[in-house]
Amino acid sequence: VQPPEKPLQAEEWSKLRESFQSPEIFEEVMFNSMVRYNSPIDVAKSLLTHVAKSNGDIAYNLLLKYLALCVQQGQTSEIRDVYDIMKMRFKILESGAYNLLIKGLSNSDQWRMALTLLEEVKKFMTPSRTNYESCIKAAGRHKEMNLAFELYHEMLAKDLVPTLDILQALFDFSRGMQGAELQKELFGVLSYLRENQIYPHKTFMRSVKLWFESIPGGNWRGHLTNIKDSGQCPVCNHQLEDSDLTEEEYNNLRERIIRDVIHGTDTFRKTSPQEFEAFQTFVENRLPFDIVIDGLNVSHIKPRRMQCENLFDAVNSLAKNNARLLVLGRKHMLINSSNWKREIMKEMQKKADFFFAENISEDDAFLLYATLRSGQRCKFVTRDFLRDHKAALSDSLTRHLFRKWQRGHQVAISPSADGKRIHFTSEKLFLSLFIQQPAFSYDCVVQTTGDTWHIPYKDSFEEKYSYRVPRKWLCIQQQ
Amino acid sequence: MQSANVLLKKIVRNSVLPFAAQHGMKKDLFPLSRTLSLSLCLKQDNSGSPSGKLDLDGWKKVMKSGLQEEVGETVSEQKELSTLASAREILEMWRLAGRSVPENITEEQLKTFMACPSKSAKKKYLKYLHLKELYKKNDKRKMDEKRERRLEAQKQASETDETKRNSFLVMWASAMDKAYGWRVAQSMIFGQPLIFDMSYEKEMSVREVTNTVRQIVLSESCNRRSVDPFHVHFCNLKDDSLYQREFIKHYRETWGKLLVTVTDRCYTDIFPKDKLVYLTADSPKVMKTFDHDKIYIVGSMVDKSIKTGVSLARAKRLGLETAALPLERYLLWNSGAKNLTLDQMMHILLTLKDTGDWKKALEFVPKRKYCGFVSKPVNELKKTLNLINTLKLGNRQEEAQRQFAKNYSKKLRQK
Repeated sequence: VQPPEKPLQAEEWSKLRESFQSPEIFEEVMFNSMVRYNSPIDVAKSLLTHVAKSNGDIAYNLLLKYLALCVQQGQTSEIRDVYDIMKMRFKILESGAYNLLIKGLSNSDQWRMALTLLEEVKKFMTPSRTNYESCIKAAGRHKEMNLAFELYHEMLAKDLVPTLDILQALFDFSRGMQGAELQKELFGVLSYLRENQIYPHKTFMRSVKLWFESIPGGNWRGHLTNIKDSGQCPVCNHQLEDSDLTEEEYNNLRERIIRDVIHGTDTFRKTSPQEFEAFQTFVENRLPFDIVIDGLNVSHIKPRRMQCENLFDAVNSLAKNNARLLVLGRKHMLINSSNWKREIMKEMQKKADFFFAENISEDDAFLLYATLRSGQRCKFVTRDFLRDHKAALSDSLTRHLFRKWQRGHQVAISPSADGKRIHFTSEKLFLSLFIQQPAFSYDCVVQTTGDTWHIPYKDSFEEKYSYRVPRKWLCIQQQ
Repeated sequence: MQSANVLLKKIVRNSVLPFAAQHGMKKDLFPLSRTLSLSLCLKQDNSGSPSGKLDLDGWKKVMKSGLQEEVGETVSEQKELSTLASAREILEMWRLAGRSVPENITEEQLKTFMACPSKSAKKKYLKYLHLKELYKKNDKRKMDEKRERRLEAQKQASETDETKRNSFLVMWASAMDKAYGWRVAQSMIFGQPLIFDMSYEKEMSVREVTNTVRQIVLSESCNRRSVDPFHVHFCNLKDDSLYQREFIKHYRETWGKLLVTVTDRCYTDIFPKDKLVYLTADSPKVMKTFDHDKIYIVGSMVDKSIKTGVSLARAKRLGLETAALPLERYLLWNSGAKNLTLDQMMHILLTLKDTGDWKKALEFVPKRKYCGFVSKPVNELKKTLNLINTLKLGNRQEEAQRQFAKNYSKKLRQK
């Protein structure tokens, strides 16, 4: 339905209503389309008046829709009126109304009223993060940064995840403001990004940069740059943090992998206790490995070739430099078949250690265990993103550790056109067959040394797969 | 006409009042005076509008008028609502706002609602209750209609006063029940055992256990009605477990008279291990034929979240043989998980037992899950195709037809 352009008389509304196919929901449909077409508020008012006069009452959902229209058009006094009427008419309001009211009022000069409404919401439920967003932005807009940060901490305490908009607003509104306390708070926001491995997008990054440069007497300068593979910043020559985990983190991660991923609710789901024990003794006797290879994953790299040939190439190219290799596979690989030739398998076993799991066991869990057991130097080769294993970890902190460790230790190889030679950076190997995505030697998170900050950012808002880390950085240094 | 109109409005307006009265306001004495004042103002508005000037804020007047005296009271009324009561209030407001919220909610449901850990869980639970309420209402409506129709039919019948003569007494239902009872009793002595493994309670949510029991009840009934029923065992069923409580909810007093074997022991204690076969979709082994000497185990589990390998792990732990239905062999799988509901499993197993015909048995797989039947296993199909091609094209074009056969089988597999 197209809403009318001008307010209508009661009779005209009645006529419209009767011509509508299902008159019972006429008002609802009409209000919906008014919100959609952003009709003038007077039209809505005239309909409300018509409804009020013919029914003596206006249903809550209609009031709600009218409120949405008012919020959409920033009609502050109307919002107040509707609020008063709702308060009078109903004992308690529900979250939808509060969302609209807070949103509407926070954008007006009556923004403090939004704060009292937020308090009202808290009485019976946890406010949503967009409620907080409205209030924080309103406070920031009126240069009440203390209040804004108070609200920000309050929502963190309630385990709400702040929207990127909130974080960005904190930087935007603090621009050019003095105060050591404020600076500390914003550094706190940056460390929130670090702890949660959040990468800001480009406009966010710009806000951060402008804030730094606006600190009175701070002499901060920001530059956009790409970090070299060696982990050195080309602007300030600073070496980024390496991706190694601390001893404690590392041990923690290893234990959690054994507990959550390998054993989980039932050891029999991924392996069996006997098999896992056999594998443990196998690994202990041969430690440490330099590279652990997921045999089956690697064998599928080039689908047109025989699987054992793929594996053979990978093992050969990695076996240089006396690296100690461990290849994980399943028992079916030992049976002579069209894909697995016994002679080639024998040849390979001279160059690397092999462990063959039962055909129904999951070899990924073994891959993780063997790599973690061999120490920080050890890398592993697979194209698998290991997302299911990450998901099996029970808390987000350990998942972050896992991601960090994975970034630093996973070597992914993918097929390249024959003959095209790719320089494999960290090990100085030439691989004729595979393009290798090297494990990062530096950690891709927000980091600081006190007088420098390095912040990785995404080029646009959407870009970035969860497994891919940004290559662009903002380098900020104090002069 | 005018006065009639006003009267009508008065009535409508009055219907709002119980709302206020409900909340403990001493309004009983006031409504008359209030509606009077309201109708007065309505009259004024009506007389004002024909002049062409629209009073856009008229609705506010209507909404505020008559409610003013309440204000003071509602404020004082807002002492401390108990959390349950305020939750009820919020639900009511959500309902008014047009969300999927049930009209009536019991204390127990309200508590479950409050215990939901997140907003989305709350929303889901409310929607579930809402739908349940809708179905119930619809069912009731249909029942009422049916009853009315029946009564009418009876009335007509009594009018015509027709009596039919028949050699049988009409008592189909109870006679059938008796016959089924005999058959199942026989199967409990001579029949092939079929085991439901009731050891998954920990793996499931309350909803999932409820669904499981419902599916088992369905399977039990279709087993009872079959020509040659299984001897159904419920193994690992602990006393006072959630499973059992749900069973009793479903069967009530019949639970004690049910012709199945219920035990808290494990199947490995009752039957020789080498005869047991655990049916699980995760099994690497595919069932070729139905073996009348084997004892099949079905895991009583509904898995709404994805917990792969739970029942396979159980079988592995006990060192039992496992098998999966040959769904891939006979059906061009379309979408959906390969795990089937328990009653579908029962139908399939019963059909296999009676006929050994996979095509007939797999009819019970939901149609949405597959595109069609492959009358023969895919690899056999490929062989036939090769043969046809060789005959058709001769040896010359061997290369071409091999390619063709390859493509065809690939397409088959991709589907």
